[in-house]
Amino acid sequence: MSSDVILVIVVGTALAFDFTNGFHDTANVVATSISTGAARPQVAIGFASLLNFAGAFISISVAATVANDVVSADVITPTVVFAGLIGAIAWNLITWWLGLPSSSSHALIGGVVGSAVAAAGFDAVIAEGLVGKVLIPALVAPILAFVVAGLSIALIYRVVARQRPGTVTRGFRYGQIVSGGLLALAHGTNDAQKTMGIITLALIANGSLAANADPPLWVIAASATAIALGTYSGGWRIIKTTGTRIIKMDAAQGFSSQGAGAAVILASTHFGFPLSTTHVINGGVMGAGAAKRVSAVRWGVAGNIVVAWLLTLPAAAAIGALAYGLTRIFGTGALGPVLVTLASISLIAALFARRAQKGAPVPASSG
Amino acid sequence: MIATIVEGKELLETVVYSTVAGVGITVVFSIAIWGVGRFADLNREERSLAAGAAVAVAGLALAVTAAAVVIGIVVMTSK
Repeated sequence: MSSDVILVIVVGTALAFDFTNGFHDTANVVATSISTGAARPQVAIGFASLLNFAGAFISISVAATVANDVVSADVITPTVVFAGLIGAIAWNLITWWLGLPSSSSHALIGGVVGSAVAAAGFDAVIAEGLVGKVLIPALVAPILAFVVAGLSIALIYRVVARQRPGTVTRGFRYGQIVSGGLLALAHGTNDAQKTMGIITLALIANGSLAANADPPLWVIAASATAIALGTYSGGWRIIKTTGTRIIKMDAAQGFSSQGAGAAVILASTHFGFPLSTTHVINGGVMGAGAAKRVSAVRWGVAGNIVVAWLLTLPAAAAIGALAYGLTRIFGTGALGPVLVTLASISLIAALFARRAQKGAPVPASSG
Repeated sequence: MIATIVEGKELLETVVYSTVAGVGITVVFSIAIWGVGRFADLNREERSLAAGAAVAVAGLALAVTAAAVVIGIVVMTSK
């Protein structure tokens, strides 16, 4: 009975994480389309939501990668998964609050690593997987997107140099509908699967599913719905940062950054390197800005984003470990997860209430 | 040690494929825009043969872009 209660809490928490992943990460995918005027905000968000929903059904092959390759499966329990999710959600909300694009994927990995270490010590971490599948791609992907977007925009400007600005802008805005769509689909495919994997692991750890089982259809559908709803709910603070505060971009820059992002994600996926869409698109945006004029990039804002990237894994791990420790104070039953959940919900509600008193967050219509 | 953790060849291939695909597709699409722009200009100047060639270049570039997008989706769905 107690383990079933914990499982229900874990599933609910995982879907909550998926929701925050949607409004936090997918904002990065649509930000460039919105800021260049390629699509109206509500249309871009709705389009991205649909493609995220569709993307979640495309593949289930990487659903369990996050936990299988980073922490030892022996130490995974529903409580470890729960604490890891709390770490990821907390870091997602903190960076959302500050308007910083950080990686939900790395927050999830960091949270699970932290809670696993708290549960079983550092031997629980598969160092090879953490370095080879998380840290090195985390370094390579944004730099690659930066270079590809920079090269692209330099060549694009040469090709269309003598054309009428109106024709060029209209053309690249049409192009952005496709490049933005590809990014949204890639995001749904990659990120919704991480939630599916986490729920599946919790089901296996609870004995509700056989080992190595694929995610059940209800898990896929629930994850797809949560990330799509999260996407539709906004993430306007991060849209503003990515779309206007790093560089003031034109349609060609928006297209080249999205094109570079899509190429890097697809090539990396093909070779099995999991990466963050957030890192890639922001690297692309900076590259597209720097290639036009180095001073066009607001390096102070870019520096804040880099700091958020660097902090994501250790910060989410620390919160995940803390959440595990708090949970275990109340024993191995359901009481710990229930109390930590209630405390988390109360804290989030208090923060939102305080925000509402001080003034509403950036409204959707201000896009 | 790093070499044993990450396959250097796969990483290099990722870099090469990303660069070729990312730069290639965006440049090809910009050629399509160039073709459309040239078509409009040449058509205004009533140079129909050159305008036809420009629109053919634009059509070809758009077809290549569309094919690349389809290949991208196939890669994504077959991972």
